[in-house]
Amino acid sequence: MILTLHHAPDFASTIVRFALEELELPHTLALVDIDGGALASPEYRRVNPVGLIPALETDQGPMFETAAILLWLVDQTGRLGPGPKDPDRGAFLSWLFFTSNALHQAALAMFYPHRPAGEANSDAARAAAQEQIVARLGLIEAMLAAQSPRWLSADHPGVLGYYIGVLVRWLILLPPAPYGIDLDDFPHLKAVLAAHEARTAAQRVAASDGLGSTPFTNPGS
Amino acid sequence: MYTLHYAPDNASLIIRLVLDGAGIPYRTHLVDRATRQQDSAAYRALNPTGLIPTLETPVGPVSETGAILLWLSDLHHLGPGPGDPERPAFLKWMFFLSNTAHSELRQIFYPHQYAPADGHHAHFEIMSTRMKRHFALLDAAARQWPKLFAPARPLGVYAIVLTRWAVLYPVNGPRWLDLADYPALEALAAAQEARVETPVVARAEGLGAHPFTRPEQPNPPEGSVL
Repeated sequence: MILTLHHAPDFASTIVRFALEELELPHTLALVDIDGGALASPEYRRVNPVGLIPALETDQGPMFETAAILLWLVDQTGRLGPGPKDPDRGAFLSWLFFTSNALHQAALAMFYPHRPAGEANSDAARAAAQEQIVARLGLIEAMLAAQSPRWLSADHPGVLGYYIGVLVRWLILLPPAPYGIDLDDFPHLKAVLAAHEARTAAQRVAASDGLGSTPFTNPGS
Repeated sequence: MYTLHYAPDNASLIIRLVLDGAGIPYRTHLVDRATRQQDSAAYRALNPTGLIPTLETPVGPVSETGAILLWLSDLHHLGPGPGDPERPAFLKWMFFLSNTAHSELRQIFYPHQYAPADGHHAHFEIMSTRMKRHFALLDAAARQWPKLFAPARPLGVYAIVLTRWAVLYPVNGPRWLDLADYPALEALAAAQEARVETPVVARAEGLGAHPFTRPEQPNPPEGSVL
């Protein structure tokens, strides 16, 4: 399997990098010059017509969409999440899609508040995103407390742990006051993320991408 | 046997058309949105997000439209499975439909969740422009992968139900999507409408005679759209 990840440090491609390192899959990084407009180039649009990172080139063609890449890696390797025949697959997919289309989307609305309705309405967009983010992390926390699933656990590394870990990192670091989150409000999630960031593979990515030694639970340090 | 928790012309419609298209037996259970049953303790126990649909299965409830489609697809072979050369395309367009096209279309329908009243017009202009770009990408993908974007199949049904809603909503806003601008999706709409299960589902949910090529406001015999 020959893999090339189109990557910029601390962008969504970092989520895929955590999974690739955890799986010890050899891969090449193609660094994307986002500020230089590389995502709009015709060459890049041939890889990903949506024009976002990450994209992962595989021997089955190019992939994009963070969660699609994570799921493809799970299915290719049989690791970091339940496979199609596992009784946990349905719940895992439900929460993977929820993370992608609800939590990740709300986080993007917080980081790019002009997107929904223009600069003039940025404050309202941030306030709406804040409410959604806290509610959605609350649903994940309640699910963890009630179900302790193997696919989002402190005892087993998983793609969802790395995905949510990077989103939480950004939600602690990036929103201007009074917005943002306190991870202590979500103790079960914090324990899962602490276990993920402490893994050898995660520490390799954190060092290489310059994320600090506690990239999920204490990203400012 | 599966139980599909549904409301008429909600995202459960996507699951229903795929199940019926594949001849997979299931029961329906109406979620009465008029009495906000989606917020009841019983429904939240199945799906804590309170969103429709939920599919009850022998191994527990599955929620999120894309997750249900993918779960059904892998079990009943409705799309390329792991290892298939078309699997990457299947997965990336499934997530694009879910987290970009579907999620941003919802934002057009519910502007009050995203902007104050005097910002609704700007919100509509920005979001409808973005959605047209998303439909253009889906139209190109449907041309490139006709087997994936086929009638009755997960990606085909998902895409075509989104175009139906884009034509109809927001009810009080200007019409902003012309399906004729997207030839592959327009052909898909006609092909989905020609399938035997489409009029059966359309009658059950009050979707009219041409739910995809000439959508009209739903008039469901039971339940409430909103």
